[in-house]
Amino acid sequence: MSDHTTAELTVSDATATATSANPSQSDSFSKVRKAIQSLSTILPSIPPSLSSSSNPSFSLLHDPEISTHISALLRRSSAGAGDDNLCRWLYEAFQSGDPGLHLVVLRYIPLLAGAYLSRATLRRPLAGFEAVLLALYAHETTSRAGQPVTVNVPDVFLPSLYHEPTSPAKSNSTTLNLAVVSPTLEPHGTVRATRRARIVGVALELYFGKINEMPKSSKIDFCEFCTVWAGDRDGHHNLRSDPSQVGDTDGGDEVELGTHIPLPWELLQPILRILGHCVMGRWANDKEVFDAAKEACRSLHVRAMHDINAKAILATESLIRLGNNMCFEMELPNGNGCVDPHEIPTTNVITLN
Amino acid sequence: MSARLGSGLSLGLGWEGLIVWGVALHRRPGTLVGQHLASGWEARRGLNISEGGLSLGSRASGGERLVMRAHRGKGEDRGHGWGGIWLVDGGTRRRRGWGVVHHRHREGRGLSSGLEARALLGKLEYQRGNVEGALRVFDGIDLQAAIQRLQPSLAEKPPSKKGRNRTESQHAVSQHAASLVLEAIYLKAKSLQKLGRLTEAAQECKSVLDAVEKIFQQGILDVEVDNKLQEIVSHAVELLPELWKQAGCHHEAISAYRRALLSLWNLENDCCTRIQKEFAVFLLYSGVEAGPPSLGVQIDSSYVPRNNLEEAILLLMILLRKFHLCKANWDPSVMEHLTFALSICNQTSVLAKQVEEIMPGVYHRVDRWNSLALCYSGAGQNKAALNLLRKSLHKHERPDDLMALLLAAKICSEDSYLAAEGVGYAQRAITNAEQHADHLKGVGLHMLGLCFGKQAKVCSSDSERSRFQSEALKSLDGAIALEHKNSDLIFDLGVRYAEHRNLNAALRCAKQFIDETGGSVIKGWRLLALILSAQQRFSESEIVTDAALDETAKWDQGPLLRLKAKLKISQSLPMDAIEMYRYLLALVQAQRKSFGPFRVNPQVDDNKVNEFEVWHGLANLYSSLSHWKDAEICLGKARQLKQYTAETLHTEGKNSKSLDYFIEF
Repeated sequence: MSDHTTAELTVSDATATATSANPSQSDSFSKVRKAIQSLSTILPSIPPSLSSSSNPSFSLLHDPEISTHISALLRRSSAGAGDDNLCRWLYEAFQSGDPGLHLVVLRYIPLLAGAYLSRATLRRPLAGFEAVLLALYAHETTSRAGQPVTVNVPDVFLPSLYHEPTSPAKSNSTTLNLAVVSPTLEPHGTVRATRRARIVGVALELYFGKINEMPKSSKIDFCEFCTVWAGDRDGHHNLRSDPSQVGDTDGGDEVELGTHIPLPWELLQPILRILGHCVMGRWANDKEVFDAAKEACRSLHVRAMHDINAKAILATESLIRLGNNMCFEMELPNGNGCVDPHEIPTTNVITLN
Repeated sequence: MSARLGSGLSLGLGWEGLIVWGVALHRRPGTLVGQHLASGWEARRGLNISEGGLSLGSRASGGERLVMRAHRGKGEDRGHGWGGIWLVDGGTRRRRGWGVVHHRHREGRGLSSGLEARALLGKLEYQRGNVEGALRVFDGIDLQAAIQRLQPSLAEKPPSKKGRNRTESQHAVSQHAASLVLEAIYLKAKSLQKLGRLTEAAQECKSVLDAVEKIFQQGILDVEVDNKLQEIVSHAVELLPELWKQAGCHHEAISAYRRALLSLWNLENDCCTRIQKEFAVFLLYSGVEAGPPSLGVQIDSSYVPRNNLEEAILLLMILLRKFHLCKANWDPSVMEHLTFALSICNQTSVLAKQVEEIMPGVYHRVDRWNSLALCYSGAGQNKAALNLLRKSLHKHERPDDLMALLLAAKICSEDSYLAAEGVGYAQRAITNAEQHADHLKGVGLHMLGLCFGKQAKVCSSDSERSRFQSEALKSLDGAIALEHKNSDLIFDLGVRYAEHRNLNAALRCAKQFIDETGGSVIKGWRLLALILSAQQRFSESEIVTDAALDETAKWDQGPLLRLKAKLKISQSLPMDAIEMYRYLLALVQAQRKSFGPFRVNPQVDDNKVNEFEVWHGLANLYSSLSHWKDAEICLGKARQLKQYTAETLHTEGKNSKSLDYFIEF
């Protein structure tokens, strides 16, 4: 290999390994250290490797022990109250503004949103959960300046970056179709019941934006909650023993939770986008996530049929069909479809000049 | 080593250790390879030049030039052995069985034979599956230096007409060397990929493309490049984004995709289609925001996508267009991806257009009708949807399709004059659900109840009306026994009870609805308040309205403020009512000024308060207080918004009558 390539390699390796490294690296480092310190007062134990790690926010995100502890705390039936220390920690971690800590908070959004939405109908104060969700909402509102996210659906009869039609546009209907993917964001200081779905929806939009950095277990948590939220009748009996069942770890006030929560489009749309990733995230090649996502799609499809919600039926149906194709591809030996299109054909021809 | 090949053709190869694989090389008797090639070469070259000319210059060729500026000619034009180097024909794979070694003069080659030998050896090791061995061999070659040496010889201008033969042979030879080197780098990348060293693999693969870009500064044209080289380039172009994705470098993957699609690589149609699809999938599902393409690649007056969804939708639509023009084979997953993308952004009407454009024979007509019905219904065009469903539910088509039956029943349940038809669909749905999908029986009953309820509204006789009303209640009761948690069902049952003047039952439903939805749906609060006011419990109704106002953001409070104003009037508190109207007016006017199309709240959209209504309400209120002047002003404002309406004329008439009355006395 030439020196040129080696140099290139080392440079890119350096940037690859130090993705979390930014100019204010020491600042971020101390923020994460501080966060770990305060977390140690909340969790029963913290693995010693965490404090000695060279990239503590990455370890915090992926450490299985930490996630087990935090998940257990979030699943308690008393979680999410105003005095919940974990929620306070999550809130402060997000407010610190450190991108690494943002990821850590987002990692628990499926569990938090799941527990919150399942319990919101019980009219119990959930100020802890709400504080975290509002922090995320406010963050998105500022970073988008409240502006909506829109999509101009293109007209293929007009030239674009990727194509040049030779036949001129026949119709005069050259106006673009403007679609609102995420409407205007208004600032909210509290969670009003009628805006609850929107606020959780925005948190899920943020989650989707970082989904490729989320660990597997977080995605599985999410898919399982989707099944619960859909209020799936067929899978209903399994849910009692399901790990996603909230509120039964503490004993005491065990409530039947998560059956048939309202799923307005502002909530359903980000849910479907996340599920789309989990079904089609072939590059992650993760069978467990895929299976959980397929199950969630199936439940949501049943739910869409029950609600006779045309848009949701279309979206879930196509995800299910795509998932079935993926199943087929995954079962094939090389796991990547039938033939590797990148393989140079083996021939018995030698060409010499 | 001397390898004996086929019919006595013998080669002296200047290196040791090379294993000629599959050496059972037979030549078809009587075929003179050299001649065969030579004639084919000339013919093909002419063809390609003319094609290249067409695609480069005027685009009068009639056919549409899609997607790649680099894309000219048809796929099958490559895969033949033009250039005299590669004989095995992609189109006729059967000929793979017999191999040919074509020997050329070695003059003018840009590479040493040792390097060439190593490159071949590496390839052999790779194809034997000895990836590590191959990598060792490739590592021993200074490939970058080889590329450097290739550059000047290849960066010549395209051959002029005079003396074409000489420059051509020069080209062919240098291209052979280039393809050998590039193939070596490509295989090195593949070896690294197989060993899991993905970032290095991507770097190597990228260096193939960088080298090609340096060598062919004008982009690759059909006339310039031999088949082998083209094949390697195409492979590398397609592999690079895959490698970046596998390495987890998403932004590099995005730029690799864009580079693949926007530079002149002269890709085959199939290859280009694959890349476009993969890129669209990546944009749709990866969650990595790509950001708009750089300004450098943007062309005036053409559409440039600004975000992932736009770019993905554009690519998928281009792919569909290719299918329609038969430039690529139909791939059903493209339609699924587009369905997902467009329903995610509420553009099912655009989706409907795409479904309509699909060639006949791809989908069964009933499937197409049903998909279209879903699209139109999703876009709120229920009439169109129902027409399609009528076709698909015809007795000769698919009369038992549960989804279609339920959707048709739902659409009919929203229109009194269609309700009778809807009853039929709902009943068929229930019968079907009992046989096939028990869990949907409740939905069928729900729709049946709604249709009966609507039918009751347009009845000509009292007896018929009460019969329909009790049928409606019976069906909804049946439904709620099956789906006791379905909040929509609870709401509809509450409304039906209220219409039936069974206020206690209605109240129970309204309360349960608020519990089930956690108070998140405004219409639930309104129903509760209305039922309470129907029971003359105005103060309680007001408390409910206040609670609802607490749970609602300012912008969405319109319907609740109107309700509260009316409650105040019922409680004979006109001054308070005027106060409420004043809030309402401020809200409505502020909304009119700042509501764009983007501030949508479907919960309020159904029941939006308009300014006319507020002025008219105020006018009524003032006239009831005998504040004639104020009433007059309000009526004037209302008339500015809607000139001729029965309501304003009525109020106006009342006013003048009362005024006259007062004047008389």
